[in-house]
Amino acid sequence: MRLIEVINGPTACHLPPLGRSGIASRFGRRHAVGPKPVFGAAVLALFLLGAGAGGLAGQEDLGKVTYDRWCGGCHGVDGDGLGVAAEYMLPRPRDFTLALYQIRTTASGELPTDADIRHIIDVGMPNTTMPGWENLLSEAERDALVEYLKTFSRFFGRGDVPQAIDFGRATKVSEAVLTEGQEQYQAMECFKCHGDFGRGDGASASTLEDDGSFPIRAADLTENWKFNGGGSVEDIFRRLRTGLDGTPMPSYQDVVDAGVITEEQLWSLAHYVRSLAPEDAPGIDEVIRAELIQDAALPTTVDDPAWDAVGVSYIPLVGQIIVSPRWFDPRVDGLWVQAMHDGQELAMRIRWSDPSQSPDPDWAEWKALIIDLMAPKEGDPPEAGPTPDRLVVQFPKEIPTGLERPYFLMGDQRNPVYQWQWRSDQSGAVEAEARGLGTATALPSAEQAVTASAAFADGQWTLMLRRPITTESASDLDFTTGEAIPVAFFAWDGDNGESGTRAAISSWYFVFLEEPTSATVFIAPLAAFAITGSLGLLVVGRARKREQEGVVTEDEPPDEE
Amino acid sequence: MGKYLKHPLGQSVAILVAAYLLIKFGIVYLPPLVGLASAPVPSSVVLQYMLTVIVGIFVWVSDNEERWSKFKQPMHRVMVDPERKMARGVLLVATPLLVAFVTFDRVRPSVSAPVSFRSIHPAPPGQIDFQGRTMRLTGLENPLRSRGSLDEHYEVGKRIYYQNCLACHGDGLAGLGYYAQGFNPVPLSFQDVGTIAQLTESVVFWRIAKGGPGLPNEGAPWNSAMPAWEDFLSEDDIWAVIVFLYEQTGHSPRTWGDEGEEGGH
Repeated sequence: MRLIEVINGPTACHLPPLGRSGIASRFGRRHAVGPKPVFGAAVLALFLLGAGAGGLAGQEDLGKVTYDRWCGGCHGVDGDGLGVAAEYMLPRPRDFTLALYQIRTTASGELPTDADIRHIIDVGMPNTTMPGWENLLSEAERDALVEYLKTFSRFFGRGDVPQAIDFGRATKVSEAVLTEGQEQYQAMECFKCHGDFGRGDGASASTLEDDGSFPIRAADLTENWKFNGGGSVEDIFRRLRTGLDGTPMPSYQDVVDAGVITEEQLWSLAHYVRSLAPEDAPGIDEVIRAELIQDAALPTTVDDPAWDAVGVSYIPLVGQIIVSPRWFDPRVDGLWVQAMHDGQELAMRIRWSDPSQSPDPDWAEWKALIIDLMAPKEGDPPEAGPTPDRLVVQFPKEIPTGLERPYFLMGDQRNPVYQWQWRSDQSGAVEAEARGLGTATALPSAEQAVTASAAFADGQWTLMLRRPITTESASDLDFTTGEAIPVAFFAWDGDNGESGTRAAISSWYFVFLEEPTSATVFIAPLAAFAITGSLGLLVVGRARKREQEGVVTEDEPPDEE
Repeated sequence: MGKYLKHPLGQSVAILVAAYLLIKFGIVYLPPLVGLASAPVPSSVVLQYMLTVIVGIFVWVSDNEERWSKFKQPMHRVMVDPERKMARGVLLVATPLLVAFVTFDRVRPSVSAPVSFRSIHPAPPGQIDFQGRTMRLTGLENPLRSRGSLDEHYEVGKRIYYQNCLACHGDGLAGLGYYAQGFNPVPLSFQDVGTIAQLTESVVFWRIAKGGPGLPNEGAPWNSAMPAWEDFLSEDDIWAVIVFLYEQTGHSPRTWGDEGEEGGH
């Protein structure tokens, strides 16, 4: 029985839902049935499997059984990081035989503490394929995993037990601290990899390799929720002190020891790095609100200050892994989208981090490396020659009347989509129709109505697209106000080897063009106020009148009239 | 405090507040006491209960003549007493303001995504066209369960899962892969007792082979990011990954025997 418990451990856990599909789950139980009889074969299989995986697993084998079952697929059953999924991932899974751990509380070059290993097992590593296992594995299983991981390397168990550094407490943040931090950012030459504004676009960014000779990205410091080791100022300070072993990110302990920078200044640097990212990680809005501009002109440039006054929606993008050839290493992982309209035209501004203006010769080697690692798995080879950055905004060709919409991945034969296509090697944008990924055709030039302007600066694209709300053309979408209109996004980073179906994609979102506020919105509350107020006056007036009459005829209570 | 609680009006207010707290926050804690799952009380139900409570209070205060006049007295005095002019004025302004604000909140335009309904497990077809040949789903069992070693099928299925399914459905098979948040609807959790544990292996085969594009309209095929895996995998590959899904989660598939007992379809 013990065996079955061990094997079944994780399934007993309650897994947190991700949200967004609440309604679906309530309507989804078409096949609801009562308790099923136990399926004998499966139980027998489970027993056989268990016997195969770990023999009669005792407590000491719990680590191996758990590891083989849940970790070996990526990290390999021998702990060498060469699991069956490894080549679909970048960064590659950790090779435990090297005992090189990025996220530690110990000095650079030292082994991690048990608590360090356990911490990463629990919470995972953001922006990599390593998930947190806190809700999936039991406490005992995770503890056993720590012990088991250490058996892959002969470095553990020799000499002293690694000691965690005392990092002290964070200094208080202030304008002066941030200015100091910014100076240290220059002095410590963080910009060389991370770029002047922290978007991972420094001059050396295209040449970075980890200890396994795999290309590695300099972290985009404006997205602290994606930092491998956590995004708090304390996390950042720890990474600065200990470095990320196995990556080009060094430890700054030696500079502190040499007296070049004080510990306090290192805290200031951590505060500055933290300040490059927003206060909170963005939530995902399903609806992009296009605000109505009534007494001003729509912006004509990408950096018009009018854009600062409208809300921003974050749209996450993921790799296109639905049709062949697939893409498991998208560079653009999210877009910041804004929209406004003046009743005549719709303007949309989209910003995203991208370390280069493709095609950039400095990134040619990087591109070749990425293609070599990630592309040859299936399908046609990537486009030869220079590849630009691209962005597509997609709508249905007509606003859906029912629930049905075109297939989000660029439509299908039956139901086409309408797109705005922009690319970094051409000016303007093109309106097109698509009936499936890779089938887009431009609308006739007489019907082209979308205009685009784009600017690239400091590792960021800013793109503005404008189009009249309605047009003469029958092949495009006529927008309407006061209605949620499906919209989806696609992005390519040419210097990351992306072209064709090797892209970053989103599912359907919505854009909502605000309507002029109808008079009802103001009249209804006024009317409610007037009616309630008069009723109140009436009731009070009558009560007072009866009271006065009651005073006159004191012997007869008014109730008995 | 005690003085107010002896008065019928004070008592009514106390009952009203207690009832609200109980309905809104208290009831949620009751089902877990007997081992049932719990959920917040919908606001429409809260409203309904509160109306019932108010009617109950009125029945109670008006049941006895003396209590009724005591109940009314403070309100009556606010309306007529010369020394309560201030309170009267405040009430006459504040109440209409409150009503106006509630009205404004109701009529102002709100921006929200259209509600979408989709069936997670739409009825499967009796047969499908799989890689150019007809495959009858009704009564179809996983052929790998009666062929070769289940251990090997599990290992093959594991490799296929890790190379193809992991990004969305996740290492824990809980639908929490690293691409999961990029898609709407989010990927299915196989750990959930409402998914593969409710299905026969033939239905799972159909869903894997045909993916999102192969869903009937009630399944909202235009939103699903599930690929049609018949373009990538062989028949045995798909059966092997199905073995893996059940073994790794510890669920058992629904069998055709179960269907028969219920009359099937």
